[in-house]
Amino acid sequence: MSKKILIIDDDPNVVDYLEALFEDNGYTTFSAGDAKEGLEIAKREIPDLITLDIEMPGDWGPRFYRKMVQQKTLKNTPVIVISGLSGSEHAIGRAVASITKPFDRDELLKIVKDNIT
Amino acid sequence: MPYTILYIDRDKSHSKAIGAYLERQHFKVLTASTYDEALLIFDNLDPEIVIADPGWPETETAYLLKQVKQSHPEIQIIVTYEEKDFDRVFEELGTEMAGYLVKPVKSRLLDHALEQTKARITTNRKLEGCQNELNEYQRTQYLYHQLFNEAPCYISVQDRDLRLTATNRLFKKDFGDEIGSYCYKVYKHRDSHCQKCPVVATFEDGQPHPTEEIVTSKSGKQYNVMTWTAPIRNESGEITQVMEMSTNITQIRQLQDHLTSLGLMLGSMSHGVKGMLTALDGGIYQLETGVEKKNIKRIEKALDQVKLMSGRIRKMVLEILYYAKSRALRYKSMDISEMAQKVADMTRVIADKNGVELKVDIEPTLGMVDVDPNWMQAALMNFMENAVDACIYDRNRSDHTVNFEVFESAPDKICFIIRDNGMGMDQETKDKMFTLFFTSKGSQGTGLGLFIANRVITQHGGTIKVETQPHEGSRFQICLPRYRPEQARMIDFPENNSTSAGR
Repeated sequence: MSKKILIIDDDPNVVDYLEALFEDNGYTTFSAGDAKEGLEIAKREIPDLITLDIEMPGDWGPRFYRKMVQQKTLKNTPVIVISGLSGSEHAIGRAVASITKPFDRDELLKIVKDNIT
Repeated sequence: MPYTILYIDRDKSHSKAIGAYLERQHFKVLTASTYDEALLIFDNLDPEIVIADPGWPETETAYLLKQVKQSHPEIQIIVTYEEKDFDRVFEELGTEMAGYLVKPVKSRLLDHALEQTKARITTNRKLEGCQNELNEYQRTQYLYHQLFNEAPCYISVQDRDLRLTATNRLFKKDFGDEIGSYCYKVYKHRDSHCQKCPVVATFEDGQPHPTEEIVTSKSGKQYNVMTWTAPIRNESGEITQVMEMSTNITQIRQLQDHLTSLGLMLGSMSHGVKGMLTALDGGIYQLETGVEKKNIKRIEKALDQVKLMSGRIRKMVLEILYYAKSRALRYKSMDISEMAQKVADMTRVIADKNGVELKVDIEPTLGMVDVDPNWMQAALMNFMENAVDACIYDRNRSDHTVNFEVFESAPDKICFIIRDNGMGMDQETKDKMFTLFFTSKGSQGTGLGLFIANRVITQHGGTIKVETQPHEGSRFQICLPRYRPEQARMIDFPENNSTSAGR
């Protein structure tokens, strides 16, 4: 069974891109346009990895992360921050990686492969 | 130093006898028996006292004495005369002479006259010294007066009540000749002194105090000033007044504000550009993989995405260019129904792609309206795209609609109504929506679009009314006058941060 990745990003075009990239590489994807929807899907689907934008309408990325780790089933889920915001690498200290938009797709796929269990 | 006396007398033996007598009295004596001799001595030896017999009826010596008194008023002249000539002598030489002695000259009278003359010379020298000091003092005063007046900053001197006791020229020019008025009244147009007054602080501790203030001139202009104070003390060292020097740094502050605004723009731009480039990468990736997999559907989708992103990048670059350079509107008389239809057609492409229904109701014969077609169309498109975006981002319902109506609401007043049933806005977003660099679209917004749209409508003399509710949608009513407003102003962005209401 393929590994599940949850994409949380407010830009539907970026979501489209990540879905296509991950699915082409054998992953199953779910997506959410904001933190609230992201948390609902995460609780329901228990993804193997989450990619998280920082600046979004409603709760921003770090708040999503705080709520996520309070869930027993999600507290160890690896999170990769993907953001265009300067300094976003400091936003979530326990993220497994932080990459800046526009990103190198091979680098992203390698990080995903190294961290998905 | 002995005084030098020039003795003028045609009678050389008389000169010799008097000369010998005067030398015994410790004078340095020079003698002359002719006009030319006397002139030579005047020009070269600077005698302080002259004793002369004008030698009437010849008046050559009398003429010389008058000339000497005129050119060297400090020289003291004692005239000797024959008793019978007194009236004529006095009439000729007048009161300017130091004294008159009748011949034959009695030694005691001569001594007395010389003593008086010496005393007069001493007094004159003292007076001359005082006059020189006074002249120097006046020169210095004039110099300091000039320095005070011409200093390129505002200078005021204030007493303990903070009343102005002196102000310089620049101060008077911008704040008026307000001697006796309170500093805070003149500088700040207020009725009580400022909480942190540097002048009060200097009165208290005798130290200079710097502050930065915003002051208001007599014409109502506001200036940023950098202020320094200094104590003025009396002979006992007590502070009696405080001088305040304020340098106008308004231009520097304006430049800083503009640079800050440019910095904000760069930050905002960089975030937006990164998002767009990522989405463009996504389009290219899907195009490449679509071609590899011969997946026509993916290729078409990818092409749409690339087009959409290039359109967004184009729009953003144009907005930045618009913001970066102030420019006047270029009015043209346009068929407003046609322009509105064009905006509707362009919006339909985006709406259809995103599953949003667009309902259009444009009165077909609205006639001609004065607008800058490029910027008016761009502004209307901005509102329309925002309406579609509000539907795309709203996940509470699936049946989204944008309504676009254009009609004449009053004679010569054209109204555009753009209504959506998308995500709507909360109060904070509504309050800030037209503010420069504010965006509610996260990575996809630059905070320039609605700021510029609002400015364009305002510059056209139009109004924008916004009604909105979170999760229910928004309604924008934009009204424009049919004819160009009388004073179509230049657009000057950096100093105008609009905070009109909206999404």
